[in-house]
Amino acid sequence: MLELAEDKRRIKVIRAPSLSWRGLWQSVRALVEYRDLFYTLSAHRVKVRYKQSMLGFAWAIVQPFTLMLIYTLIFSIVTRMPSEGMPYAVFAYAALLPWTSFSNALTSGTNSLVSHSHLVTKVYFPREILPATYVVASLFDLTVGASVLAVMMIYYGIVPTLLILWVVPIVAVLTVFMLGVTLVLSALQVYFRDIGMAMPLLMQLWLFASPVVYPLSAVPARLYPFYVLNPMAGIVENFRRVVLQGAAPDLYALIVAALVSFALLPVAYVFFKRLEATLADVV
Amino acid sequence: MIDLRFDKVSKRYRIRHEDGTVSRNPLVRAWNRLRTRSEDFWALRDVSFEVKRGEALGIIGHNGAGKSTILKLLSNITTPTSGEITINGRLAALIEVGSGFHPELTGRENIFLSGSILGMKRREIEAKLDQIIEFAGVREFIDTPVKRYSSGMYVRLGFAIAAHLDADVLLLDEVLAVGDASFQAKCLQRVRELRESGKTIVFISHDLAAVERLCDRVLLMERGRLVAEGEPREVIAEYQRRAADLVALTGQKGAQKSGAEIVSVSFHNEKGDLVASLQTGDALIVKVKYRVYCKPVESSIEVFFYTPEGELTSQLFTDRSVFAEQSEGYVEFHCPELGLAPGMYFIDVTFDKDWKFRCATFRVDPGKSFRGRFYLPHTWRFVEKVEEAVTGKIFAES
Repeated sequence: MLELAEDKRRIKVIRAPSLSWRGLWQSVRALVEYRDLFYTLSAHRVKVRYKQSMLGFAWAIVQPFTLMLIYTLIFSIVTRMPSEGMPYAVFAYAALLPWTSFSNALTSGTNSLVSHSHLVTKVYFPREILPATYVVASLFDLTVGASVLAVMMIYYGIVPTLLILWVVPIVAVLTVFMLGVTLVLSALQVYFRDIGMAMPLLMQLWLFASPVVYPLSAVPARLYPFYVLNPMAGIVENFRRVVLQGAAPDLYALIVAALVSFALLPVAYVFFKRLEATLADVV
Repeated sequence: MIDLRFDKVSKRYRIRHEDGTVSRNPLVRAWNRLRTRSEDFWALRDVSFEVKRGEALGIIGHNGAGKSTILKLLSNITTPTSGEITINGRLAALIEVGSGFHPELTGRENIFLSGSILGMKRREIEAKLDQIIEFAGVREFIDTPVKRYSSGMYVRLGFAIAAHLDADVLLLDEVLAVGDASFQAKCLQRVRELRESGKTIVFISHDLAAVERLCDRVLLMERGRLVAEGEPREVIAEYQRRAADLVALTGQKGAQKSGAEIVSVSFHNEKGDLVASLQTGDALIVKVKYRVYCKPVESSIEVFFYTPEGELTSQLFTDRSVFAEQSEGYVEFHCPELGLAPGMYFIDVTFDKDWKFRCATFRVDPGKSFRGRFYLPHTWRFVEKVEEAVTGKIFAES
């Protein structure tokens, strides 16, 4: 009987950090073990963000909506930007929705380890949970923001087709990509605070390197193969395409985005775990 | 059954030396950062020990001896540079209570948040919610954001969560030093309960009295190395001896040959034997040897007893007297019944301008049992017949 009780105890070995498959497997297992913390922290992230703010959840909409107004003002009134026959406002908003979600996840996720240094130096839990909760929170914002998109589509009389179901794999790719990038940046931010300083600039550049304010079709054909190496190109363009235009996704761009994202995540995870070992000594 | 094993564990920190000159030019600054050598600092060097199931291990040592590094390694906050740590079972650290709290969330929400940070499952927390709230004594405020809590409530809730973790191995830092006296007693009681239920405990503290009461075995750390290991009483005595050596050395440096100085202080029992500890209620003799140099001195000799927290507990002193030049002698303090409560005391001795700061330690063991702050020396007898009229407060008709 005693032997049986013994078996339930998990033996944990802590050694100097090294890269090994076994170590990686252990980290994944530890992450599963801590899934409750992941849920609780993610829920907490969403709750706290809007506590004590008057507009509450409306803030999830305010950001993409304001950007949409600004871009509409510039690109449909000041100059004319092609929008594939769509009203520019809804054209921009449909792209800003996944974009702001991505941009928020990265900006807040990058700082997550540093801003939780009081926890990181006192308690152990798999640290990847911290940046990951920001990804979850941004997906929540995406969902809230989507309700406004629905209202806009009704207003403009846009009827979605069954192709809208493509949204599921597209958002999945977005999630994987956000996780990968946030893991890398958050770990680097602990060692080099320059990352955080460069974030606003980086996000600005990345925005214009993605088909948010313009359609993918506006990109010169000879640049196209390089352009879609940026996973956000395939994600943003296809999100807009399947939701608004009821058109089939640009499969090539989507597959490239998926390949890049799914290749990045394990590499990012190993990298993160390697830096995690001495994180508390530095932060 | 070994629950915890440290196998030749070392931990190195890199310390960067900056030369203090800070350039305004960011490029120069960046270059300097790259150029400066970093030095290695070994917080732990080849430390090996084991803790058996159900054992309570204490770790003592000066600040910087490596105690907190052991704690950080055990709780996996950081990893060793070399060596291996094996932990059998679930480990929970009761350190820095309340560090996982978010001020905007209510007490209840924070229990879930903090509990899950400490590694509890949601179901577990739900099952223990009532116990935790009860223990912390914050039931009326459980749905109030914790930013409205008093600092006492905050700390109590933090400890209550940690104390209800269902772990096999418990790490205790100076957590027992939180809250008021009654809550401290409650904490200590809880730790005893956990111990009796067979949990393995690692207790890291400066409170030697608490270490002695709680632990079966004690490790003494000094500059990253394990220097002594064994029975709490012996290891603590060794620690005190080393601490005294350290002070004696620094004391010599400061001795001035002009006025007067204290040569030694020693503690004796009734029979005159040298002792490092006595029990409450025992007779204590304190001998202070002094020396006066070229000028006569008018002063008193005083001996102070401080708690480890630096609170002055009591004092022995002579009347102000004149000491002739070129003289030497002893003063002997005689306490018929020691009134100090059990615990560690740090000793200061002063004579004229010489002040031996924390120059010795003295331990008081539980002897005469009493409640309160100190033992009031007393005798008692029953009186059969009361002949004199009873005065004072009268509670019942005679």
